[in-house]
Amino acid sequence: MRTQTIRFAALLLIPVLAAAFLLSSVAAAAEMKHPVEVEAPAICSQCHEDWRASLDHTPEFGKLRHKFQAYQNKQACGICHVESFCSDCHAHKEFLKPSDKFKDEPQRDLPHRGDYINQHKIDGKINPASCMRCHGRQNNERCQACHR
Amino acid sequence: MKTTGAKLWKKVRGSAVCLGTAAALLLPSMPSIAVAASLTGNSNTYVLSRQTADDTNLLPLYEYLDFAVQDLGTESLSAHFGGWLGFDLNNNSSFGNGEKTGNDLQYGYLSYRAKANNAVVNLGRVMVFEGVAAERVDGIYARTDIKGGFGISVFGGAPVETGNPDLPGNNVIYGARISHQNAGTYAIGLSYLKEDKDSNTFREEEGVDLWFKPMNKVEVMGRSSYNAETKGWMEHSYYLILGPFDKLRFNTEASWINYADYFQGATSSVFQFQPGGPIDPNEKVNILGEEVFYTINNNWAASVDYKIYDYTIAGNASYYGAKVTYSKPKVYNAGASVHRMDGETDRLKYDEYRVYASMKMMEKLVLSIDLFDVKYKEAINNVTNAYSASVDASYELMERLKLGVDVEYSKNPDFDKEVRLLAKVSYGFELGGGATKPKEGK
Repeated sequence: MRTQTIRFAALLLIPVLAAAFLLSSVAAAAEMKHPVEVEAPAICSQCHEDWRASLDHTPEFGKLRHKFQAYQNKQACGICHVESFCSDCHAHKEFLKPSDKFKDEPQRDLPHRGDYINQHKIDGKINPASCMRCHGRQNNERCQACHR
Repeated sequence: MKTTGAKLWKKVRGSAVCLGTAAALLLPSMPSIAVAASLTGNSNTYVLSRQTADDTNLLPLYEYLDFAVQDLGTESLSAHFGGWLGFDLNNNSSFGNGEKTGNDLQYGYLSYRAKANNAVVNLGRVMVFEGVAAERVDGIYARTDIKGGFGISVFGGAPVETGNPDLPGNNVIYGARISHQNAGTYAIGLSYLKEDKDSNTFREEEGVDLWFKPMNKVEVMGRSSYNAETKGWMEHSYYLILGPFDKLRFNTEASWINYADYFQGATSSVFQFQPGGPIDPNEKVNILGEEVFYTINNNWAASVDYKIYDYTIAGNASYYGAKVTYSKPKVYNAGASVHRMDGETDRLKYDEYRVYASMKMMEKLVLSIDLFDVKYKEAINNVTNAYSASVDASYELMERLKLGVDVEYSKNPDFDKEVRLLAKVSYGFELGGGATKPKEGK
């Protein structure tokens, strides 16, 4: 198995090294950054008419649409957001709820406010798929305390 | 002490190996390391005071640190790190399983970015969001645009997961996505992911993701995922977004989920449903939802939403409600909402109310209040009304230094009276001549 893994890693490294070589031959890149400062909430359609207009941070963007943008165009998120903006909520191991970390921003659509330990028994039965996305393979160690 | 150090090393060794490998691979190909490197980052320190149900006083301290080093020798190379350390100041168990300390490396990678084609190679602990993949991986991620609107991304390495099954032996995950887009009309992607645990296939998923704008004010986005291990569709999830039409916008959701295929790749027993249990493992659900937004004026907005859960086996459920918000950017935010969860039985019903407000005063002080109330139709531990009220004060001591404290009072089925205190210190830092203003997401 170890040999198989090493072989797989080596196979994967070949195209990556090739890409690195090719990339080193093009001009160096500046940090990816939006050319002008954008005030929150970003309404991209004020300037853009192509796919970027669909990045409008309208009220439902955080709860509903941002996941599709991330699946297709995560590099576009990186123009304005640093990686920790994602990991604030999409955690590997976490003991502080996002809504507790950002009590000074109550307007943000952050999950698990109030008595969620009891409310989750209902939400989890109604729509367990909504739990799976964040707790299916990560950030589920606290779940094991009750769900053995 | 030695044991703690060994445990810590065990937890971070995957990332350390990846970062070391990345550095060994990339640094020799770099020109001489210049002194122009710049570092920007944020430190967030939290101290939480709370009591457990058995009256143990917990006082965990968390230090969240994230930073990025740009222009590492060349403008195209950067390093990124995010993680946290924690320990309980009362020497009690704040981190599960009796642990008095905790830590996590959320991400840590070297990144090489080309000027053209959105090409990037990341090496280390990377977060991958590509089609069916929403993973943390100790390994490699690379993407680039190709000619004619095509793009390709690949990733591979060791999966970074928690929970069970924690199988022995080698764990490997890899995948790819190929996409095509017409910048103003559509983007479509085909993706694949495979995860092996100890030589056995744990997950094998394929997916199609779509963004389609056939005309102005009409957008469709969504994805379908297929479980190649169980040979069944996991989900179809699509949204139709219409508007704005004057002051109105409409969001329609249509989703279908097949539990047997969708939950197969979970590492937590929570999602391993058993026949005769509260959730049938062969359940299927159609979810239909509609949300209508109305922009009253520059400051006021209102929305109503309705979602129907239509099950094959269990009884149906619905969730509906309304929300009103007031916003004056950087000065004032307020909102009120009411929602009802209407499940099949009284045990699956609740009403949810929320009122919040946040106001900036004297240019440096932000005061926020948040009231949250849930009324359960059927009492839990003889309690039907669970509520919490929190007050937060944050003060900007300097441009990059912010202090905050909040207190939350709540009554719920587990506590007659619970008081939590949270103090926080946020500091943004930068070093180096080329440092730029940190991006959003401090």
